[in-house]
Amino acid sequence: MALRKIINPVTRLSGFLEIEVYIEGHTIVEAKSSSLLFRGFEIMLQGRNPLDAIYFTQRICGICSTAHSVASSLALEEALKVTITEQGRALRDLVHGCEFLQNHLRHLYLYTMPDFIKLPEAQCLFQKGEQNHQDLRLPKKENDLLVDHYLESFSISRKAHEMLAIFGGKAPHDHGIFVGGLTVHPTIDKVIKFRSLLDQIKRFTIEKMIPDVYTLARYYDDYFHIGRGYGNLLSFGLFERSSKEIEARRKEEIQKSYRYVEAAFLPYKGKEKRINKNKITESLRYGWYQDGKPERPIEGTTIPDTEKEKAYSWSKAPRYEGYPCEVGPLARLIISGHYPYQISMMDRTIARALEVLQVIMVMEQLLEEIALQEAPQDIYTIPEKTKGIGLTDTTRGALGHWLIIDNQKLFHYQVITPSAWNLSPRDEKGQRGPLEEALVGTKIEKIDQPVEIGRIVRSFDPCISCATHVHTIKGIQKITILD
Amino acid sequence: MKVTIASPREEKRREKGKEAANNLLEQWKSKAREGEKKKKLIWLELTGCAGNIISLLNGIDPGLEELLQKQIDLCYNNSLMTAEGDQAMKQLFTTADDEFILAVEGAVTTKDEQYNSIGRYQGRLISAMEAIQYLGQRAKSVIAVGTCATYGGISAAHPNPSGSISVIKALQNIRSDVISLPGCPSHPDWFLGTLAYLILYGTSPTLDSENRPILFYGLTIHDNCTRRSFFEKRIFARQLGEQTCMIALGCRGPITRTDCPTREWNSYLNWPIGANTPCIGCAHRTFPDGTSPFVQYERSATSTEASKENNKRRK
Ligand code: SF4
Repeated sequence: MALRKIINPVTRLSGFLEIEVYIEGHTIVEAKSSSLLFRGFEIMLQGRNPLDAIYFTQRICGICSTAHSVASSLALEEALKVTITEQGRALRDLVHGCEFLQNHLRHLYLYTMPDFIKLPEAQCLFQKGEQNHQDLRLPKKENDLLVDHYLESFSISRKAHEMLAIFGGKAPHDHGIFVGGLTVHPTIDKVIKFRSLLDQIKRFTIEKMIPDVYTLARYYDDYFHIGRGYGNLLSFGLFERSSKEIEARRKEEIQKSYRYVEAAFLPYKGKEKRINKNKITESLRYGWYQDGKPERPIEGTTIPDTEKEKAYSWSKAPRYEGYPCEVGPLARLIISGHYPYQISMMDRTIARALEVLQVIMVMEQLLEEIALQEAPQDIYTIPEKTKGIGLTDTTRGALGHWLIIDNQKLFHYQVITPSAWNLSPRDEKGQRGPLEEALVGTKIEKIDQPVEIGRIVRSFDPCISCATHVHTIKGIQKITILD
Repeated sequence: MKVTIASPREEKRREKGKEAANNLLEQWKSKAREGEKKKKLIWLELTGCAGNIISLLNGIDPGLEELLQKQIDLCYNNSLMTAEGDQAMKQLFTTADDEFILAVEGAVTTKDEQYNSIGRYQGRLISAMEAIQYLGQRAKSVIAVGTCATYGGISAAHPNPSGSISVIKALQNIRSDVISLPGCPSHPDWFLGTLAYLILYGTSPTLDSENRPILFYGLTIHDNCTRRSFFEKRIFARQLGEQTCMIALGCRGPITRTDCPTREWNSYLNWPIGANTPCIGCAHRTFPDGTSPFVQYERSATSTEASKENNKRRK
């Protein structure tokens, strides 16, 4: 009989997550991720002033709030028929870039590293408990170096939020990103401060972060073989090019509309396809929501139903053309041709570090392009009835906001977060979500110390943020975990 | 090379000096060791965005990394702790047997108490309500960090689908001395200052009627706003991005008590009004329902004259 194991809380991620696995022999044969995303934002937004969505939806998440301000501004721009200027877009992308740096730095050092290095256990925070997992392989010298960098990462990641505050007012939960781009004018004092901080982060990335991640890869090379998952990749595109640039490139016949990664769906062993918004659906079958057919987010509902049989997650199950898809840095690097088509726990972790450099390169380009002129703002009027979709890639992957305005108020709002893609439950065809699939088949070396699970889970950088554990207790018997 | 040979008398003096220095160093060391006894801190994340712990990471001089090395033992925090699963929960409950300070961010859901749990302990789901009451009873001091914890905040926004209440309310029958640090998120200094006070003096700093430290929440944003002179002259911004008073766009500075204008955010670099946007009252008791709409252009209709003036001035 398979052995059931539950890990809850899976710490070192934003929000609350429960992972349940069944192990036969030493292999995971079944996995369930219970994503705890219900705070009812979609319900709370109904009836509100449409422009409020920008500051309101940021509160979905404390670590990736800027992502929501970007996606909601994009959706509102479509709804309000606002054409953003090149300056507005470049400025907004710059601010969005800061968030990638902050997130990736914090995730790699504060969330991932403690799985692989030995931190000074005199500090309570770093204690592993009695079931102290022993699979820590770094020799003392390397370990000490990484502990130093762990501590240094606090101040470096802080700098990324300082950059965000220069143009965004504050972080988390910025004010600067708005319809039309940004509200802060890029004056020379701000630009040089921003550039200086960017340089400092770049130096850390090149001299420490990337070498560190390869240190991990060297000592834990078996992690290149576990945690693969489906291999279907998705991106909504990141950092659109300016029209001038596209025009210039057209002559060279390179028709890329994004600076970093195109909006694309890449099915496993298939051909890359352009994104068609109508092919995004959400399945409600295993979510604690009133059932229905898989629905498109523009008409999606959020009616909680905690009594639903077989449901086990507050995440709906987003699918593209019916496929469960992995989103995030690795998906982006592969789609954009910057990384070989290989997927594993370790590849995901390496991709996160490499992407920091990728994003810094785009930010440097953007800094060159912005003019020392005002950030364009206007008085935006809200139409009686309209709708808008904002799709973008953010730190953890593809993010979408769908909204309908009626009577000048928000009538409908749906959000699909990157973690909803990666940590989705099963759908009506019974297909597991990408993380669940990545866990199945994993060999667990020591059953009472299943360190592999947490390592794989964190390689997806889950952000469950929105809620504490919202869970139906009914039918759950008392069981002992990690006994 | 010139070699000087010290006379025996000089030699002796040098020895004495060395001894005195060593004594002083020893004294200093033992004193430092005394002060090294770290306070235990539990930082609980409940229904919220976990943005307050991220904000705390942004604090400087001291940064959290320095505090961890010198002043505090952070024994439980979902975002940062190394232990996971049952081990993490065990660490939480063992710490609670000792003396500790409790910081809580996020609201507490009540609609169905069982809806909201922080993890499993010995197989059983521990609801947030259970956790906050258990720990709230035992903690030496409790600090509610952020607007969700102090007032319900965005987690309790209309129609409050999760039935969220503030930590203060969840603990109302247990204790009335919970320190409130509203703000969405709370500024790292507000927390660090309060924590330092608790550690150094063993009691909370002077609080106002809503249990906020007067030091940080004594004045409204409007009292100290850098754009106050524009307000007095009735020069009002018509749209975001203008560098004058934001009142006509719905600024909540006049009702919101924090020291944002003088302190500023993220290593004291900027703040929302500095970003040419109105204050949305994120630290106010009624946030978000009572302080929304956050941005409203129609209010500028009453101030068109001032705006025209304003525009002329800007050009
Ligand atoms: S911007 Fe707001 S806080 Fe500042 S003076 Fe105007 S109304 Fe007062």
